[in-house]
Amino acid sequence: MDGRARVPVAVVAAALIGLVAFSWPLFLRPESGMSATQAPIMFALVLPTVLAVVLSEIAGGRMDARSLAMLGVLAAVGTILRPLSAGTAGFELVFFLMILAGRVFGAGFGFALGAITLFTSALITSGVGPWLPYQMLAAGMVGLFAGLLPRAGGRAEILLLAAYGMVSAFAYGWVMDFSFWPFGIGEDTQISFDPALGPLENLHRFVLYNIATSMGWNLGRALTNAVVIALLGVPLLRLLRRSARQARFAPASSAQPLAE
Amino acid sequence: MAVITFDRVSVTYPEADRPTLDQVSFALPEGDLCLVVGSTGTGKSTLLGAINGLVPHFTGGLLSGRVLVDGRDTAHHRPRDLADVVGYVGQDPLRGFVTDTVEDEVAYGMEQLGIDPVAMRKRVEETLDLVGIADLRRRPLVELSGGQQQRVAIAAVLAAQPRVLVLDEPTSALDPTAAQDVLSAIATLVHEVGLTVVLAEHRLERVMQAADSMIWLPGDGSLVHGSPREVLARATVTPPLAELARIVGWDEVPLSVREARRRALAEDLAPTAPRRAPANGRPVALAARGVEVRFGDVVAVDGVDVALPQGSVTALLGRNGAGKSSLLWALQGALTCAGEITAGGQDPRRLSAAEARRLVTLVPQTAADLLYLPTVAAECAQADAESDAAPGTTAALLTALGVDVPDERDPRDLSEGQRLALVLAVQLAARPPVLLLDEPTRGLDYRAKAELHRIVDRLAATGVAVVISTHDVEFAALASTRTLLMADGEIIAEGTTADLLTSSPAYAPQMAKVFAPLPVLTPADVRGGL
Amino acid sequence: MERTEALNQVHPWAWWCWAIGIGIAVSGTTNPLLLALVATAMIAVVMLRRSAAPWARSVRAYLLLSLFVIGMRVFFQIVLGGGRGETVLFALPEIPLPAWAAGIQLGGTVTAEALTATLYDALRLAVMLLCIGAANALANPRQALRSVPAALYEASVAVVIALSVAPQLIESVQRVRRARRLRGASSTSLKALATVAMPVLADAIERSMSLAAGMEARGFARTRGLPTRGTLPLMLVSSMAATIGVFLLLSTSWWQPALGLLVAGVTVAGFGLRAAGRRLRVTTYRPQPWRGRDTLVAATGVLAAVLVLGLGWLDPTTLSPALAAILDPAALAPTTDPLAWPQLTLPMFVVIGLVLAPVPLTRARKVAQTASTRNDTRVRSLRPQVERPKVPAWR
Repeated sequence: MDGRARVPVAVVAAALIGLVAFSWPLFLRPESGMSATQAPIMFALVLPTVLAVVLSEIAGGRMDARSLAMLGVLAAVGTILRPLSAGTAGFELVFFLMILAGRVFGAGFGFALGAITLFTSALITSGVGPWLPYQMLAAGMVGLFAGLLPRAGGRAEILLLAAYGMVSAFAYGWVMDFSFWPFGIGEDTQISFDPALGPLENLHRFVLYNIATSMGWNLGRALTNAVVIALLGVPLLRLLRRSARQARFAPASSAQPLAE
Repeated sequence: MAVITFDRVSVTYPEADRPTLDQVSFALPEGDLCLVVGSTGTGKSTLLGAINGLVPHFTGGLLSGRVLVDGRDTAHHRPRDLADVVGYVGQDPLRGFVTDTVEDEVAYGMEQLGIDPVAMRKRVEETLDLVGIADLRRRPLVELSGGQQQRVAIAAVLAAQPRVLVLDEPTSALDPTAAQDVLSAIATLVHEVGLTVVLAEHRLERVMQAADSMIWLPGDGSLVHGSPREVLARATVTPPLAELARIVGWDEVPLSVREARRRALAEDLAPTAPRRAPANGRPVALAARGVEVRFGDVVAVDGVDVALPQGSVTALLGRNGAGKSSLLWALQGALTCAGEITAGGQDPRRLSAAEARRLVTLVPQTAADLLYLPTVAAECAQADAESDAAPGTTAALLTALGVDVPDERDPRDLSEGQRLALVLAVQLAARPPVLLLDEPTRGLDYRAKAELHRIVDRLAATGVAVVISTHDVEFAALASTRTLLMADGEIIAEGTTADLLTSSPAYAPQMAKVFAPLPVLTPADVRGGL
Repeated sequence: MERTEALNQVHPWAWWCWAIGIGIAVSGTTNPLLLALVATAMIAVVMLRRSAAPWARSVRAYLLLSLFVIGMRVFFQIVLGGGRGETVLFALPEIPLPAWAAGIQLGGTVTAEALTATLYDALRLAVMLLCIGAANALANPRQALRSVPAALYEASVAVVIALSVAPQLIESVQRVRRARRLRGASSTSLKALATVAMPVLADAIERSMSLAAGMEARGFARTRGLPTRGTLPLMLVSSMAATIGVFLLLSTSWWQPALGLLVAGVTVAGFGLRAAGRRLRVTTYRPQPWRGRDTLVAATGVLAAVLVLGLGWLDPTTLSPALAAILDPAALAPTTDPLAWPQLTLPMFVVIGLVLAPVPLTRARKVAQTASTRNDTRVRSLRPQVERPKVPAWR
């Protein structure tokens, strides 16, 4: 495989696997003998492998000390922001940094930052559990797509990122709620997942469940993202770009050819 | 046999218009302790970084010529490939730590080199003993004092058993005792282990007696390499003893207090001490009684009484953790504390933040904390607005402080001295009658310190009461008229700077030691007294 | 002294394996008696074997979370549950919802059968959460991080950096917030966010630069080679296979091939990661050894999972009556319609025994306490700072 194609290929594979993992309520059948509570746990056993493959591909081999130190420090920032902001309905400060860093340092960095921030935060708050691989993958995707947004500059860029902040906040909330649906409400209310019903009916139930239980959180998270990006976007992008620039000119400009 | 060779080395950074180092050549023999001196921005860090290839591999820039370290050319060896030859220790040790406990940090470099766990175990033990930190092995790095952290940083690079140790201002953030600790650890390494050490240092007075050679960077890209005496006789970087030698016309610069004292006694030098006008008669700008600051169970400031006369300059001395910063923050009213504080008839604690800073203003230890805007001009404009000053006031103050930087410069790109001046200008825009400076001399070279001294003098002349908390006794001797000595949250001595500093062995400036018992504090006193 | 310390520390992955195994076992039963006993045994193990480290207290948070989950479940069952069963406990007024929420109504009769079924299921989830809490409390995250596969070395370095920088950043935030007053800023509006965020982030980024210089100068990535060819396709294909395995497991009744695919996929991916890790030749200082005892602790978890799931898959009609009476697979999921008192069977006591097995297998807490003080500072030093204001940086 071409060295340059490795990271995108790994990320696309992870996205596909993630898609299957997040959407299990669409294909869980009663005849399988598995209960809805067991389903996300089954995937929680597979997802770490996938995350390990992608992270080792992004971080290993290609990342130099500078990017890695930046990754660690930004993950530390996210890690402190998370417990500081959690608790107040949906006021979550953990995502804006992933979005801005993904935008500046690229999709791969965004993915790694999202995943590693959530992982570190779980270590500190003792929040390691079957939900963690899902959270890591979802947050990684938030950072990843931020790096894939179209070109824009000035005010348009902030607008774009703020809008993406809102969309990604909802998307993150939905996929997490969807895959941990039975954990949230159990299996025999009228807005519970029921494997016997089929995908469409279940989706309908999910929408109702989601509006009833987590609309406020998702909306709060979306507004937080948008407001913080609107407020801090310009100076923060400048700050991150400044360091990205500093980091770039290194080996190419040195006088002698380097024997790597 | 030279272990470090620079052969016509030039370094040019991309955004610079002239080379930082220009065709410099020198060779350092094995086992030397070489001191690198020069003002800020003359290329000390560039020179040090070039030794292990951080310049240009890591920092960018263009390097021509050849740097050979232990026979390896840095053009073909990246810094990581030189890790077992050159150990590099930066200014702020805490910022370079990768792990969080002493032992792990010491082992980190060896893990990178792929050293076998059994051998690693042994080397960690040896290194801990060598630097004398074996009892700290399990301690978290953040809980250590600055001096201990710096020694851990040294141990961490020593574990890879390099032949050269490069230290970029390792003591700039330390109090005198801690600095002495670190420097004696370095001296041990040179004398007992035979390491080659290259050391950059602002406060030469501490180390010059131990140096075998000295490199002076005049600032034009050239370099002067020679014995300390030769270099000090020429350099514009003047520690007090070098200045003394110039004043009294000695041809050789004494490298230690002992040497200078013997010679002064032999020549019967006895400068008369200058008369110092006491500031006590003047009205009090700020008075505090029974100030007490607590953090949980820790009493940081324990019932302190302070009176600051108008137009006085007070030095606040004491070890790290003696409560100096807490006292300053409390006097500003920014820290909850017990006791009475009156400035201009009001208690700054009861005022809003905006009003309080017009009574008492504080420049904190990490001055950059106050800066958040992208350009110098924006910071100045914001400061004008905050202080209800006429537009342009802060910018004018900045110019008056002798700093001339482009308006669109990012404050984070300024040098330490320029940044301090900017924060000083921002804070002075409020025209406060009381100015508190917390460790302003950190990272400043002799020229910048002289500049700061001039600024403080001028402010005092206009009636501002200034307090300077500092570790730098030479600066305190130069700039202050009164001194407060703190220990353990209490003020243990108070008086004129001349009385207090000459009577304390730990805090006596070098001139006082040379001419004891005469109350002479600075080379300027000597010049005036002869 | 250090030797004995290491001896007394159970490998974190062993704890995780044990806890996950018990968790999977728990997922296979709704018997409230068994669940309650497993929960009690679990808490007993945690209390006897946890260290003095801060994360050891996390089991309480998980206990509260479990209770919250049970409460939520019961609440939603009462408000939204369907009226299954005959034993009506009480009735709430019915509120029909608009057309877009077709088929759903609030309120109605609440039956003992439905409520019991909900309680059983909620209890199962609560005990699963408790298992996770137990692992979080018992396993040393710092040690776990030291034992990741070599392929993940760089990622683990990033985590290590994040963990050691975070406490310093908290100090930085506190310092800058205090410093804002010096410039006269007293507002607490959103705009004030910039005055704190910018200096802290600028400082953090500068910090990352000096950190990187330190890493580089100390030989980071020196022994790093190029990625081994072929490992990535291998790992991706095997992860895909594992995913398809789970997919089949959930959507069809062919559990044998599905399980085979899952196990094969995860195993091959593991080998792939191992091969990918060979490009790196860093060594570990005082690595945590994996001992026989760790294998035993891990095995008890796996055994419990196999026992319960295997029992659940058994068809009682194919067993001899005597064996069926002893094993009684149906007791794992006691019927709630009609209501019946749940029974404890012999295999269930074996499960409890497996949950408790780490107690005799590992040594007493007193010794473990000294072991846990090593290298745990990262997590420890951060906790109190998040929770309460700290003595400022200069002290």
